Amino acid sequence: MTMTDIAPSISNIPDPQELEGKPGTLEIRNVSKAFPNVQALNNVSLDIRPGEILAFMGENGAGKSTLLKIINGDYQPDSGTLSMDGETLEFSNPLAAHKAGIRVIYQEPEIIPGVGVAENIYVGELPRRLGIVQRRKLNEQVKRSLIEYGFDKVLPMDLMGDQLSSAQRQIVEIMRTLKSGVRVLALDEPTSSLSDEEVDRLFTLIRRLRDEGVAIIYVSHRIKEILQLCDRVAILRDGNLIAVKPAKDLNDAEIVRLMVGRELKDIFSRKPAGSDNEVLRVENLNSNWHNQIDFKINAGEVVGFAGLVGAGRTELAKVIFGDLPINSGKIILDGQEVKIRRPDEAIAKGIGFATEDRKREGLVLIRSVLENASIAILSRISRFHFVSSRLERLAISGFIDKLQVRTPSLNQPVGKLSGGNQQKVVLARWLAAKPKVLILDEPTRGIDVGAKAEIYRLIDELANEGLGIMLISSELPEILGLSDRIYVMQNGQITGELDGATATEEEILGLAMVDQLTTSSTENSTVSQERN
Amino acid sequence: MNTEIASQTNEQAAPQVKKESFIHKLMSTIGPDNLSLIFALILLVFLITVASAWFGLSGGDRFFSWQNLMNSLAQAIVIVGLLAIGQTVIIIAGALDISVGSIASIGSVVAASVLAGIGTVGSLGIFPKDSALMAVVAGILAGMVAGMINGFIVTYLRVNPTIATLGTLAAFAGIAFLLAPEGKPIGVVTQPDFTYLAQGRFLTDLPLPAMGGAKWTGIPILTVILVIVAIFVHVIMRYTDFGRAIYAIGGNAVAARLAGINLTRIRVMMYMLSGGIAGLAGVLLAARTTSGNPVNGNGLELQAITAVFLGGAATSGGKGTVFGTFLAVILVGVLNNGMNLLGFNTFTQRVALGLLLIVAVAISQWRQARAERARSRA
Repeated sequence: MTMTDIAPSISNIPDPQELEGKPGTLEIRNVSKAFPNVQALNNVSLDIRPGEILAFMGENGAGKSTLLKIINGDYQPDSGTLSMDGETLEFSNPLAAHKAGIRVIYQEPEIIPGVGVAENIYVGELPRRLGIVQRRKLNEQVKRSLIEYGFDKVLPMDLMGDQLSSAQRQIVEIMRTLKSGVRVLALDEPTSSLSDEEVDRLFTLIRRLRDEGVAIIYVSHRIKEILQLCDRVAILRDGNLIAVKPAKDLNDAEIVRLMVGRELKDIFSRKPAGSDNEVLRVENLNSNWHNQIDFKINAGEVVGFAGLVGAGRTELAKVIFGDLPINSGKIILDGQEVKIRRPDEAIAKGIGFATEDRKREGLVLIRSVLENASIAILSRISRFHFVSSRLERLAISGFIDKLQVRTPSLNQPVGKLSGGNQQKVVLARWLAAKPKVLILDEPTRGIDVGAKAEIYRLIDELANEGLGIMLISSELPEILGLSDRIYVMQNGQITGELDGATATEEEILGLAMVDQLTTSSTENSTVSQERN
Repeated sequence: MNTEIASQTNEQAAPQVKKESFIHKLMSTIGPDNLSLIFALILLVFLITVASAWFGLSGGDRFFSWQNLMNSLAQAIVIVGLLAIGQTVIIIAGALDISVGSIASIGSVVAASVLAGIGTVGSLGIFPKDSALMAVVAGILAGMVAGMINGFIVTYLRVNPTIATLGTLAAFAGIAFLLAPEGKPIGVVTQPDFTYLAQGRFLTDLPLPAMGGAKWTGIPILTVILVIVAIFVHVIMRYTDFGRAIYAIGGNAVAARLAGINLTRIRVMMYMLSGGIAGLAGVLLAARTTSGNPVNGNGLELQAITAVFLGGAATSGGKGTVFGTFLAVILVGVLNNGMNLLGFNTFTQRVALGLLLIVAVAISQWRQARAERARSRA
């Protein structure tokens, strides 16, 4: 397969031949990786060159993390190779990658809580003599290198591991890599929890490492940072490498366009059936996660909530559902203001919530399909607190059939079903509860394409029957294909409201990613002010 | 539970259920965990009655006599059995109640106190004196109040259940003394209705032949009470919304809450249930020892918890049955009884009991790990 076959629309991927030669280049060739039901990486070829900062960009699920994990030895590619200086690299685990001078720094570095900064940096390699740690030597070494890299003020040596801030943890992790001769350094969203000043310091360090000849991979959603820091930008989409371009040739809009560039699949067949009959209105909601949230959902309407991971969408669902505390604001259900303190009250008032994390938050895996499906309606199927197995089956089995849950029996432990069927059991639970508003958080995460299509059809059907659906999804085609209206969230706020029929992925990503306060180059900022 | 529900439904609504043989059905009703307990029990009885003779131990032949089975064994398991049944509910919900021994002490003191009309509760005059029924009711209520306190500490104060009940283990033991007049045991309690609880016999006229040189003298009332409570809790766990909620909480508390289970209410209720049963156990202790002694329940919690884990409950919660616990209680009872008959001293018995628990949990962990490996391969 040639490169042009992978990305027919964009042909500016450099020919691999012309990149070869520079010593210390990490050459990724034709790497593919599949997981059950998803092709995470498809024939990706890329050079990571010493003395250069290369950005990885892409939507959630585009394959960035998988690629990082392959470089780090967490995963092994199904096919394709990594090589450096003409030598093929095969890492069976991260330690092997470390030995080859490749380090990946994830968002949450492993820090040992009970020991100091110096020990944390030199963990596993403490200077010893006769089996005794040479504490003075250790402290001197660490102090010297902290001063050398300008972190002596930011990272006081007398702090213990559990007293470190996120930024300090990142620095500890970076210092770890520096002392052992790193050749390729990857940073996964390192700035997500840093202050501006800390970001500046980190950038200074990264540039310095680049100038010393380290090959640097920088993964971030922040376009501004990428354009400021990186030399080249590699853009991934659906496991394919779409483009590798010099950062100076790119701008916000171009990056967003490259990241999206997808056609809607025809599995969506949403015919809007929204009425003016409002079932849920949220006014001026504030919580520990949210600032001034206003939105509404009408009966029969599918309302998409788009945004990046961490924008506060799941938390918004949980605040409405009574699982997380609300600080101020009104929740109006069917025209009446309601106070919801716990999930059971939310269910009683007609809200259903299918969580994003089925295994952790959705299902009791060791209990049966039937029990998991009927748990939200126990009081309705009980007489004098005795669960009537007749009423239970009556309430559940219809939905199990309708959703075509493939299970040998209703008594099968739900943990033994496939992901798609587990999700259908969750849906059966909420359909049986007959809510007015159903919150679906990533309803198709981790399930195969066939089951996805069934769930899309079901969402469409439910809305047509008059249910108000709040659809949280990180898959833009899903949001665009199903939603009648779309709210976009960023950093705990709603940054825009779009019409589902006319919205584009570019618009959504713009509202979700581009800093609304500093960017005025696109029409996005005007959209955000138009809401309500 | 599952197979029973399946057999009641019409086959059209439910997805096709495979036809199973009677033996298979019976086996799956009992469950593999309980089946291994039954095998262990048979093995143990064999070791006591037959194999012990091969090693030159005598006394095993006395096991199968009405005297031994109905007097020694059946009575010995009652108190620990009751506590274990209450504990089963707690452990299935993924928590622990270490305070049950102390609650039993409270129940014992309160019952004797009401009966005799002395002590803190007895002199209140709420409960009429000399009534065995009132004594029982007061003992159970005292246990439920203690359980409610446990429940509040665990839910509203968010204290880890083990720590919370470790605290109340000490506190309730102290309260048992404070409730007794000047901290001294209340006794001798000789109210005939009350002592009947411990000494009475049920079905004395059953035409059963003598066994082991002893005539049939009936089933002890104590044992009857144990069986009734076991059935009561079994029914609650298997057929009520409360039982469903307990299993769900133990299996995945986060998911249970997000599916509308009111965790606080269920947890308070389950501690009240366990406390009430412990209170009843205390009442029966008072009846058996004919005194309301504040140290009556000391140390019983460990045996109760042992029996629950032996009975197949998972340390992680969500798994376990009253029936399994009941079998485990019998197993522990037979172990103690057999070792008594064979002349082992109580110290050796304690070593054996400790080892039994560790072996049982180790086996259950090993099986769980194997099941998880099988799942991850699938």
